[in-house]
Amino acid sequence: MGTTASQLAKDSLSEYQVNDHLLLENAHRRFTELLDRDERNHPNPRVPMEVILTLPELKSNPFKTRICQVFSTSEDKDGSLTFEDFLDLLSAFSDSATLEIKSHYAFRIFDFDDDGTLDYGDLEKLVNCLTGETEDTRLTSEEMRQLISNILDESDIDKDGTVNLSEFQHVISRSPDFVSSFALFLFYPVFPAPNDAVLHCFI
Amino acid sequence: MALSKNRLVVSCPTEEQNLIKELVALSTTEQIRKIRELPVSFEEKKHVRLVEKIFLKICHWSVFPLYLNFIQKCNRDVYLCVLLCCLLLLQLIRRFGYSIKSVSQSLQLWRGIMKEIGGKFGSSVLNYFVLLKWLLLFNIFSFLVNFGFITIPLLVSDLSPNVSPNVSFRGLELLTGAGYFNYTVMYYGSYSNETFRGLVDYDMQLAYFFTISVYMVLCGLVLIFSMASSFKKNYALADAASNSAWQLLCSWDFSITNEKAVNQRKNNLRIQLKESLSEKAHRERQTTSEQLKQYGIYFGSWLLSTGLAVGCGASVFYLCQYEDEVRKSTYCCRNPEAETLLVPFVVSLMNMVIPLFFSLFNKFEQYSSQRKQIYALLFRNVLLRISILGVLCYYWMNTVPQKFTCWEPMVGQALYRLVIVDFIFLMLGSLFGEFLSNVIGTKIQPRLGVPEFDVARNVLEIIYAQTLAWIGIYFSPLLPVIQILKFFILFYLKKVSLTHNCQPPRRSGRAAQMKTIFIFLLFIPFFAGALSIVAYTAWSLTPSEHCGPFRGLNNTFSVIGEWIDDVNKLSSTQWVVWIYQNVIRSEIFYFLITLIILVLIYIFWQLIQGRKELIVLLRKQIVNEGKDKSFLLEKLQNLQKSSEHISIVPRQGMLRGRQSPMRW
Repeated sequence: MGTTASQLAKDSLSEYQVNDHLLLENAHRRFTELLDRDERNHPNPRVPMEVILTLPELKSNPFKTRICQVFSTSEDKDGSLTFEDFLDLLSAFSDSATLEIKSHYAFRIFDFDDDGTLDYGDLEKLVNCLTGETEDTRLTSEEMRQLISNILDESDIDKDGTVNLSEFQHVISRSPDFVSSFALFLFYPVFPAPNDAVLHCFI
Repeated sequence: MALSKNRLVVSCPTEEQNLIKELVALSTTEQIRKIRELPVSFEEKKHVRLVEKIFLKICHWSVFPLYLNFIQKCNRDVYLCVLLCCLLLLQLIRRFGYSIKSVSQSLQLWRGIMKEIGGKFGSSVLNYFVLLKWLLLFNIFSFLVNFGFITIPLLVSDLSPNVSPNVSFRGLELLTGAGYFNYTVMYYGSYSNETFRGLVDYDMQLAYFFTISVYMVLCGLVLIFSMASSFKKNYALADAASNSAWQLLCSWDFSITNEKAVNQRKNNLRIQLKESLSEKAHRERQTTSEQLKQYGIYFGSWLLSTGLAVGCGASVFYLCQYEDEVRKSTYCCRNPEAETLLVPFVVSLMNMVIPLFFSLFNKFEQYSSQRKQIYALLFRNVLLRISILGVLCYYWMNTVPQKFTCWEPMVGQALYRLVIVDFIFLMLGSLFGEFLSNVIGTKIQPRLGVPEFDVARNVLEIIYAQTLAWIGIYFSPLLPVIQILKFFILFYLKKVSLTHNCQPPRRSGRAAQMKTIFIFLLFIPFFAGALSIVAYTAWSLTPSEHCGPFRGLNNTFSVIGEWIDDVNKLSSTQWVVWIYQNVIRSEIFYFLITLIILVLIYIFWQLIQGRKELIVLLRKQIVNEGKDKSFLLEKLQNLQKSSEHISIVPRQGMLRGRQSPMRW
C-alpha cells in the first residue's frame, strides 16, 4: 500500500484522537481488506452492506442488517459504511462506550421501522430475531401476545402502548449485564506488524 | 479507549483538501515555501485548522531541523511563526503520547487473551479470568511488600539465617516444604527479633508486625470497596426478577461469533421465555402432595450435604490426630516427611470429589429458578470448604503450639503443603473435568456433548487457594511467591483447556450478579476467616520462645505496647501515645463509634424507604401525565374538527340555501 491516497488515509488515522492505538490500526487494516483494489485509491471509500456482512464478527449476528443500517450515513439508506461509520460502529460496541451511547444505539437497532418508538411490531420482530425465524422455532401467536404484554407492563411507564427511548434506557439501566453483552470484539493480533509500529512512532 | 473523532477531515471545505493534496505531492522544501506564502488574512479558525492539518501531513522527524531553521529566519510573519511553534510542540507531545500509550497497552498483562476469551465465551467465563488476574495482583503486591520490608533487611544484615551443615537440598522439599526450606527465609522461624543499627534503626519485630497487618487491612479495604460498588451496580439498581422478559432480551450477547453457539443461544432463549410465561401457571398447579414431596427432597438433600460437610471435617480432624500419633511412634521406619503429605492429599481429594455429589443432589432437586439452584450449590460447596479449613485451623491453633517448640514454621509448612498439593489437584481436576469430559462427550457418548466451563466451581477453587495464602502470610512471608507461580501457570492452563475442551455457555447467565456474589464470597467467609485466624494467632497465642521475630514475648500484640513505651520517652511524639491510650485501647471510643454507625444506618434506611415511596408516586405521575396528554390531544382534535365543521358547513348552507334556508 504505497500510494499517496492510502498514505493520506494512514496519516489521517492520527487525527482520530484515539487512545486505543491498536484498535484503530486493526480497524483500518480490516476495513481496507474489504475494499477492492481500485477502491483503495478512493479518498473516502464506501463499502456496501453485503461486503460488511462477510466480516466474521458480524456474520452470525441476528441483528447484522439493522446494525449496518443504523450506522450507515449514506443517503439511500442502503447500509453501506465508510471508514468513519465503521469506527462509529466499533466505538459504540467497544467496552469503553458509556451506557447512554450503548442504549441509544441499541434502541435504534431494535427500532425496526425507524419511527422512534418500539411498538408491537418492533417488539414482535425483536423476539423473532432472537428466538428463530423458522416455523417450528417461533413462539405461537398467543405466547407472543402474552410475552409482549409482559414486556410492555414492565417497561411502558406512561402506558401509551409503545416503549420510547427514555423508558428503554430506564429498563436498560436496571440490567447490569447489558453493558458487557452489547459488545463486539474485533479479532486482532496482540502486537501490530512491525513496520506499521515503526512508521507510527515517527509520523 | 474512547474513540472520539476529530471531525476535521469530514467538515473541512474542499479548497483546503485540494491544498493538502497539492502539498503532499510536493517536496519538503517546496512545502515549506508554500506555507510561508499562505495568506495571513484567513479567518483565525480556518487558519489554525489548515495549518494544523498541514503539520499532520508533513511533520516528520527528518524535517525537524529544517523547521527550526525556518522558524529562526522568519521575522516578518511573526504570528505565523508563533503559531507554527506551538502547533509543532503540540504535535510532538501528541505523537509521543501515542507511542507511550500503545506500548503501555501492549504491556498490560494478558489484555489480548482476555479480549479473546470474552469474545468467544462471554462475560460469565471472563469473570473467572478477571478474578484470577485480580488475585494474582494481590499476591504480587504482597510479595513485594513482604520481600521489601521483611526479607531484604534480614538478608542484608548479618543475621541472615544459617543452614546447618548436615541438611542439604533434596527434591522432596519442593513438595513438603520441610527440611532445607525450614532454615531459609521462607518461614517465620528464620526471622530475627533484633533491631538493626545501621543508617536507621530498623526494628525487625515492628517491621514484621506492621507489614503483615497493613497488608491485611489494605486487602480488606480493597475488597470492601469493590464489593460495595459491585453490589450497588448489580444488585441495588438491578431488576429483582431474574426471568423477566426484557432482561432476557437485553442480555443478548452480541459478541458471539460462532454460528452454532448463536443457534444454541436462540434455542435456550426461547425455552427461557416460554418458562417465564408458564412459571406463574405452573406454580398454581402444584398439588399438596407434590409440594410435600418437593419439600421432602429439599430436606433430604440439605441434610445429606450438611452431613457430608461435617463428616469431612471430622475425618480431617481424626486424620490429623492419627498423623500425630504416627509421627510420635515411628521415627525411623517409614519416610516421616512423606507422611506429612497425607493430610493435604486427603483434603484436596475431598475438595475434588464431594462437590460432584453436591451436583448430583442438585440434579434431583427442582428449584423455582436457575439462580436459586446455583446459589444452593455454591452454599454447599462453601460449607464443605469452610468446615475443612475450620477444622484444620482449630488443629493448628490448639494442638500444634503444645507439641512443637518452634510451632509457627510447622504451621507454615503445613500450609505450604496444602498449597502445593492443591495446585497439583487443580491441574488434575482440569484434566479430568474438562479434557476427559470432552473426550467422552465427543467420541464415546456424543449425547452428552462438549462440556461447558463450570465457572462457579473454578471460582470457588481459586478463592479457596487464595484463602490458604492469606492464612499463610503470617507464618510464611514468602508464600505469595508460590501463589504467584501457581496462579500464573493456572491461567495459561485454564485458557488452553477452555479453548480446546469447552464450548461457550448455552444459557445467558447473570454474569454481573454472579461477579458480585463471588466478590462477596471472597470477602465474607474466606478473607474474614483468614483475617480472624491471623488476628487470633497474634492476640492469644504465645509465640515460640526460640525462633521467630516475636520470641520471648507473651503475645504478638505486646510488640505495640513496647513500641509505645519507647515512643513515650520522646516528648515530640506524645500525641502518638495519646492516640494509642485513648483511642485504640479505650472501650468508650468503640462504643461511641458503634452507636454513631447504628444511628447513621437507621437514618439511611429511612431515607431509602422514603425514596421507594417517591418512586411509586412518580410512576403514577408519569401515567397521569400520559393520560393528560392524550386527553388534551383528543380535545384539540375535537376542537379542530368542530372548527372545520363550522367553516365548511356555511358554504354548503349557502349552496343549499335556495332549497332549504332554514336547515341550519
